[in-house]
Formats: sequence, C-alpha cells, structure tokens
Amino acid sequence: MSYYVSVNNLTKKYGELCAVDNLSFSVRKGEIFGLLGPNGAGKSTTLSVLTTLAEFYKGEIRVDGLDIIKDKMKIKQLIGMVPQDIAVYDHLNALENVKFFASLYGLRGDKLTQSAKEALEFVGLTDRQTMKPKQMSGGMRRRLNIACGIAHAPKLIVMDEPTVGVDAQSREHILNSIKILKDRGATVIYTSHYMQEVEEICDRIAIIDKGHMVACGTKTELVSLVTDVQSLYIESRIPSTFNIEEFKKKNELMPDIKAISINESTFRIDLPIGQNSISKIIEQFISLGLPIISINSEVPNLDTMFLTLTGHEMR
Amino acid sequence: MFQIIIKEFKEFLRDKTNLFFFLLFPVVLVFLLGNLLTSMDKADEVIGEIKAQYIVQTEDQRANIAIESFVKAIGDDSLLVLEKANDLETSKKLVGTDKLTAVVVFRGDPLEINIYEGSNQIKNRTVSAIMNSFVLTNKSISSVMKIAPAVILSGTSGNGEYVKQKDLGVNRSMIDYYAVSMLAMISFMSVMVGAGAFVGERQNKTINRLIIAPQNRVQLFLQKILGMVPQVIIQIMVIMLISVFVFKAHYAATFTENLYLFFFFFVITLAMVSFGAVVGLLIKANPMALLMPFLWLMMFFGGTYSKEVNIKGLTQAMPIYQIQQAAFDLAIFGRYHKVNTIILIAGIIIIIMLTTGALLFYKKQEER
Repeated sequence: MSYYVSVNNLTKKYGELCAVDNLSFSVRKGEIFGLLGPNGAGKSTTLSVLTTLAEFYKGEIRVDGLDIIKDKMKIKQLIGMVPQDIAVYDHLNALENVKFFASLYGLRGDKLTQSAKEALEFVGLTDRQTMKPKQMSGGMRRRLNIACGIAHAPKLIVMDEPTVGVDAQSREHILNSIKILKDRGATVIYTSHYMQEVEEICDRIAIIDKGHMVACGTKTELVSLVTDVQSLYIESRIPSTFNIEEFKKKNELMPDIKAISINESTFRIDLPIGQNSISKIIEQFISLGLPIISINSEVPNLDTMFLTLTGHEMR
Repeated sequence: MFQIIIKEFKEFLRDKTNLFFFLLFPVVLVFLLGNLLTSMDKADEVIGEIKAQYIVQTEDQRANIAIESFVKAIGDDSLLVLEKANDLETSKKLVGTDKLTAVVVFRGDPLEINIYEGSNQIKNRTVSAIMNSFVLTNKSISSVMKIAPAVILSGTSGNGEYVKQKDLGVNRSMIDYYAVSMLAMISFMSVMVGAGAFVGERQNKTINRLIIAPQNRVQLFLQKILGMVPQVIIQIMVIMLISVFVFKAHYAATFTENLYLFFFFFVITLAMVSFGAVVGLLIKANPMALLMPFLWLMMFFGGTYSKEVNIKGLTQAMPIYQIQQAAFDLAIFGRYHKVNTIILIAGIIIIIMLTTGALLFYKKQEER
C-alpha cells in the first residue's frame, strides 16, 4: 500500500533530551491520522519535524514520495500548518491575515483574494473578515488560525491541537471542517488531548508516549490490543420460575457470545469487539418472556486503552 | 516580495505604540525642549569676549595673505579678539590657565591649522566655527590665485572684493538644536523597531509560519528589513517637516545639504534597524525593556536632551554625540567630513548586521 506520509526511525534530540526516539508511522492519502499522547510525549516535536520547522537527528521522512531533506521546498508547498498557538498578526484584520499567509505560498491577485475569502467562508468567518483578531472570541481566533493554514489548499494539513480552549460550538465547527477537508481529498494529521475528538474524527490513531510509538491503528485495532471483549448489561425482571442455568447454557451456544453472568436482575453478556449480536440477544429475551428494563454497552475507550498500554493516564 | 513590505508598513501605521514613540514623541520633545526649556539652557546666553592668539609658522605666501586678510576681516568689533603671537609654549600656558580661550597655529605647506583649546566648551566651538570659515576663505584665495594671481599678490584684494566670509544668515535657537538631536534620538531608538519586528514574530508565533513557508529565508529576512524602510523614511521626514514648518526650526542652509542630512539620518536609522533585527533574533526578552535603559543613558550623557551635559571623555565617547556633532557640522558649517565618515561606518554596520541577521534567520528553527 502506498502512503502519503511515511516517517521512519525518526529521532529528534534537544541537547541531551531525546524528544522523539526511533519513531515510525505512515499516513495514507486522504485519511485523518491522529497522534495521541500526553504532554511531552513528542507529538508536537514530530509535527515540527514533519513541517520542516525543526531539523532532526536521525531517520527518514517522505511526503508524497519526496524526501524532506532533498525536496524541502517542494514539501513545504504541499503542507498547511495549523499550529497549537494562535499565530496571526494582531494589527491585520482576518482577511489580511489569511491573504498574507497564503501569499507566502505563491498566490497572487484575484486568486489570492478568492482563496482567502473561501478559507474564511470555510471556517465560518465570512462576516468577520474585517475584524481584527483581538476583537474576536477565542473560538473565532482558532478558526482564523485554521483559515491561515489552509487558504493555499495544501494537500497535507497538519493540525496541532486546533481545538484547545474553544467553546463547544466552535469545536463542533472545527471538527466538521476537518471532516470536510478530508472529503475534499486532503490528508490530515491531527493531534489532540481530547480522546473523544480523536475517536470521532480520526481514521487511524498513533499513540505516542515519551517519544516512543506505543501503538498504531484504527480505534478497534487499538482497543483489541488490550481486550477482545465488549460487555452488554441487560436489566430485567426475572420470574421466580426462571431457570438461569438453562438460559446460560442455551445462550452460550451462540457463537458470538463469550460469557454470561447474572448479578441480581442484571445480565452481563460478553461479546467479541466488533460483533453486533444485540438484536439476536434481545429476541432471546423476548422469546423467554424476560422483560427488558435497560440495556447498557461497555466498550473499552481510548482512555482505558491508553492507561493499560502506558501504565499512566493521558493527563 | 511586496506582501511583506506592505504588511510591515500596515503594522507600523496601525500600532499606536509605534506611532507614539517614533512620530509623536520626538516631535513633542522638539517642541518642549526647544521652546519651554530654552530659559534653562545656557546656549542662548552671551558668551562674552573670546581672546585667542595665533601663530604663523608657514612660509607659504598665499597662506600668509589669507591669514592676514582673515584677521583683518574679523576686525576689532568682533567678539573674537585675535592677537598675533610668536611663542607657542607661552600661549599654551595662557590657555592652560584660561587667560586665553585658544591658540591657533598655522603651519606647513599645505597649510595645517592646530587649535589648542581651553576649558570653555562653548567658546571652543565658536573658535572652531570661526576657523572653519577661515578654511573656506583660504580655499577661495587659492582658487583666485590660480585664476588671477596678480590681484592677490598686489594686495589689492584679500579683504573684501574676492574674499567674503559666508554669512549663514540664520539666527539659530534651541529649537534648531533639538530638531537635530531628536533626529539622532529617533535614529537610535529605531534599534527597537528592528528588534521588535522579530521579537514580535516570535511572541505571536507567526515566525513559525514564516519558517515553514516555501520561501528563501534570506530573502524573507531582507524583505522584512526592507519593509521597515518606508517607516524609517516617514519618521525622519515627519520630524524634519514638522520641525521646519510648524516649529520654524532650521536645519542646513541649502536644499542639497538638507537632503544629505536626511540621507545621513536614514542610513544611521537603517543601521540601527539592522542591528535591532539581529538583537531581536538573539534575545527573547522585550526589546524595549532591554535596550531602553542603555539608549536613555547614552542619549543623556551624549547631550541629546541638553547640550549643557558635557562630561569630558564620556560625552565624546557616546555614538549619539558624534552623530549630533556630525549633523551640526553639516547643518551649521556645511562640513561633510564627519557626516561622510559616519555614513561609511553605518554602511559597514548595515552590511555586517544584514549578513549576520540573514544567517541567523536561515538557521532559525521552530519557536516554542
């Protein structure tokens, strides 16, 4: 399979401190790839190297088949960076900011103005284009920060925690925008502290801790590294005549069910991750005359998975 | 390329702090120091009689004619009393005890003029100014000598027909002093413009966006410096124009000299901006907090705020003092020597700083 971005054995040191140690991962064209890890894990350093902001000690990075050392200028042209800190000029208005940064990528004249306006429209700031950043809310500034990074229509968009400190509405807007960018064909590398965000938008996720790669894959693949079971909790009213042992025996014969246990009036049914046998189980309950009061599903999330893999929590 | 220049210029015009410090503040200072504090400055006071002696140690006939006609032209009514003497050592002792303001020695061929000065700075400057006019007189005589030597040698001229002292025709005031010294001040303060341009990029993290852009870094750096040129031109022009047309200050006597004075301060300001840019790439602190104390001390001891501040050895060592003196030399006496020397030094500083800055920016990695 061809990858749009491939990072092989990347090592980056700051003096004696090894911020990224022999890190390797690949990103497919058109996917949203998440980098997950606590503070100091090496996410931002990896992005800095990838965007040519920082030099690296060892390794190889290729973007669209180009070598980051030999073809630096060509790679720069392909990349759009949305930094963690809001990086805009306070004395320029929104449109001027976007136009200035897009002009650094060779856009000129009407094309420049049109691209800048489209970028502002994309992040929902069309009616704020004459406002200066200081007059904007935190969420709007974040969106302006994104517009400045994407106005030149980059093929690879690198986003370093773009939703830090924004309100729920702006976060939703930003996440939707990222999905639209993906639909338009852009490849996105995304870092965040927020597990839910990463779970929601990323096709694949790499977990980094202390500069090392801990795991990489889809969410299902990652969760399956720590457990292969999801549990279903069904609360019912069990008649006194109900033969529990017979029920267990009967249901355990179903291929998708791994185990059944009963605690008072709640059944716990363990299923393999990725299998959806809920409808069959419900049919069983109904056929046996067991009324269903509530159903809860417990799937190990990325937090649990991170804790299991690294031995400590994200934050 | 123009995008960065336009951006820099827009930022300058929209930054109220910049406008205050680099346009309004110096203009207000010219007005305040030049008008309101005039009575506290001794520059307009009567300096009294200046007694000086001169010793002629040259055999050159033309020089002797020039000297005699010059002494005659000064006359008895002048504030300068010039007596002929023969013994340099005796004259020097009189100067040492302040019984004489100065002793002027004319020697050699071509003619050299040595002035042994006393301790009164204002009187010393007056003697220096008068001797400057002699240099012009001597040059005129030399020119006439080449064309019509008979006229000079017959002694029919020398004191009027061919040789006239230049009358500057300007009644100078303290406004004139501060109009020049504030230009010097603003030139030096521009080090903060240069530093601020890069510290600002770093503080708001936009420097990272510049670094990752597919642009030649050396060109980016030079474009940023070039982007500050319009504001440098504007700040010098505004101060000069307001000083002349609103405060009625006088700079140089001719348009050409004024243009050269403008160019002089432009080059110095650009040197300071370039130096500031290097500082801005090296330091992380607020440039104003770091550089301002040094600048204020230099300006204070360099006589920017009052020409009465003159600590022998220290004042002369201040770069701003030398720049002010060079500007006065050009503005008052039409002398270009010091101005040209400083332009040359500033030019060298610009080249060194731009090379250093470009190299630092080229090597620059991410800012966290």
